[in-house]
Amino acid sequence: MKIFKSIKWRLQIWYGLILLVVLAGFGGTAYQLERNRLFRQVDQELHRRIGVLANALHRPPLRGPNGNRPPPGQMPRGQNFDGPPPDGVPPEQPFPGENPPDRDGRRRPDFSLPTQDTHFFEASEPHHYYYRIVNRDGDQIAASPNEPDSRRHHSDNYFPTVNQAADIPGKGGLPAKLISFDSYREATSQLPSDEIVTVGCSIAPELNDLRQSALTLLAVGGAVLLVGLAGGWWLVGRALRPIQSIGAAAGKISAGDLSQRINVADTESELGELAVVLNSTFARLETAFAQQKQFAADAAHELRTPVTVILTQTQTALAREREAASYRQTVEACQRAAQRMRKLIESLLALARFDAGQEVLNRMRFDFAKTISESTELVQTLAEERGVKIISELAPLEISGDTERLTQVVTNLLNNAIQYNHSGGEVRVSLAAQNALATLVIADTGQGIAPEDLPRVFERFYRADTSRTGAGNSGLGLAICKAIVEAHGGTIEVASQEHAGTTFTVRLPV
Amino acid sequence: MRLLIVEDEPDLLASLAQALREEGYAVDTADNGDDGLFNAEGTDYDAILLDVMLPGLDGWEILKRLRKTKKTPVLMLTARDQTRDRVKGLDTGADDYVVKPFDLEEVFARLRAIIRRSANQTTNTLEIGEVKIDTAARHVFFKNKLTELTAREYALVEFLALHRGEVVTRTQLYEHLFDENESSLSNLLDVHVSNVRKKLGAEFIVTRRGHGYGIE
Repeated sequence: MKIFKSIKWRLQIWYGLILLVVLAGFGGTAYQLERNRLFRQVDQELHRRIGVLANALHRPPLRGPNGNRPPPGQMPRGQNFDGPPPDGVPPEQPFPGENPPDRDGRRRPDFSLPTQDTHFFEASEPHHYYYRIVNRDGDQIAASPNEPDSRRHHSDNYFPTVNQAADIPGKGGLPAKLISFDSYREATSQLPSDEIVTVGCSIAPELNDLRQSALTLLAVGGAVLLVGLAGGWWLVGRALRPIQSIGAAAGKISAGDLSQRINVADTESELGELAVVLNSTFARLETAFAQQKQFAADAAHELRTPVTVILTQTQTALAREREAASYRQTVEACQRAAQRMRKLIESLLALARFDAGQEVLNRMRFDFAKTISESTELVQTLAEERGVKIISELAPLEISGDTERLTQVVTNLLNNAIQYNHSGGEVRVSLAAQNALATLVIADTGQGIAPEDLPRVFERFYRADTSRTGAGNSGLGLAICKAIVEAHGGTIEVASQEHAGTTFTVRLPV
Repeated sequence: MRLLIVEDEPDLLASLAQALREEGYAVDTADNGDDGLFNAEGTDYDAILLDVMLPGLDGWEILKRLRKTKKTPVLMLTARDQTRDRVKGLDTGADDYVVKPFDLEEVFARLRAIIRRSANQTTNTLEIGEVKIDTAARHVFFKNKLTELTAREYALVEFLALHRGEVVTRTQLYEHLFDENESSLSNLLDVHVSNVRKKLGAEFIVTRRGHGYGIE
């Protein structure tokens, strides 16, 4: 599904899950703490009442506060109260007159709560505490009438099993077992005199409070979760927005608009840095594309002139019948144009191969000085025509490289040095080893190159002089020299002073 | 009609000049910008074919300087066919351009067009009395009959017809009918005028004594 592939959605889901777990943990703990607090209060109250009952059991029989003794038999055992007592008036407590206590005070067939303690078991208060006392044989000694029905059902199985109950250290020194059932909680203690006293109460108000707390916790947790999810959505959207603009820009670029850039407002974030890197990549791509386009346009442009020559020559020649000499001239002109195109095509192919890294250098060890002096001899005729003197200073030096290609470099540089020289000028050629590099210097005393043109002389089709006086000077020669030298791992540099001369320095690894 | 070609590729210059001469034009040539501008400023050409890439002054510069003094129609020869190059040429004052490599037919047609426009003609056909001139086919009809004229005779008729109603001086005629290599053989012009009169009627060309010739 797409939703699970989306980073935004995946982040959101993880974020939501983690938030949910954290909130549930907090909420659960808070709920548990609240529950423990409420139950501890209840348990303390229960225990207090066990103490009250224990005291009442072992107190010597007392008279009622007014000395009235209810008629015997009036109160059946275990039925001290009929319903809640009238408001404000504590019910008359029966006193078990007919059954005098044992000497040891342990066993009393009858028990009734002393009047001063009745307020502990008011049926009217929300907890309506109740009690039950049984002897060690399980016979009931006394029970309050408000004991809930559900409890009575359990009376047979009176003792709660230990794992259901929790021991709390009684304040009066009596350990009590605690049990909760339905909405009641009971504490049971065995007195030292073996009676078992149980005090219970309704915990409906506490349960109600707990339910309220739980609802509140749920509501707060839900609200926090919603706010968190909304905030997360906003944050993730904001964080991912640069990705959208990166995608948009990249899309436009792949559609061919290379001038597109990612709009980077914030360059500090990780995505901002990525955008900056991408932008510089795009810029380089654009430059490379523009150069390639310019190269193709220049190449086409260079081919236009010879094609025009051939077209005009042939169309003129064919316009009417001509003498053989005239046709000959036409054919010669066409041949010159074709030669020029061939040379241009060869140069273009060489450059293209160097660009693609397909040009394989036929490397071998050879004496570079010898190669240079051979090249010098080749250009000697041209030098004499132009009245230029070539002065060589060559130290024998063996290098590893492609003889043919390096000869091309030397010849090209020598040709330039002669062509752009003046009559009576000089070309100095020197070869020496410098720092493990073969250093070839070709210096002329020619017209020089203007400072603004100097950085561009190795550019393809760049001609400082727009003239094409040097026939076949395509403007590719120096670019090819540079490509060859660099393919050998060397460097080529130019220095020039206008009207004084130009110096080319080629450095090749030995 | 006299033309100037400024082009630095010698083979192209030679064949263009030859082709245009064979079309009946008087053709001067220059193979660099400086000579080109010098010629263009010094002579009233009927049109100039101007290459853009030239040693010395380039085509744009020549055009810019020439336009300060002359309205000679200029046809640019350019190897750059990008729109901005064409726009630049036309904005600088070129009348038209052809992109290399071109066909000679197209160059001829564009030349005729810029010469015609500079003489305020809109069609290739000129009618003067019983003489009809088709400047595209270089044909002259007299009384609806095709009349054979030599190239020079045709050039004379066409030049006078394009300047109909004006008095054209002998100097002007020499300037426009002969190129710089044909020095003024003064009676050559009279020979041509006389031949034209024989073919197209004696009244076709009127002589203005002391001034020159004209077509009414």
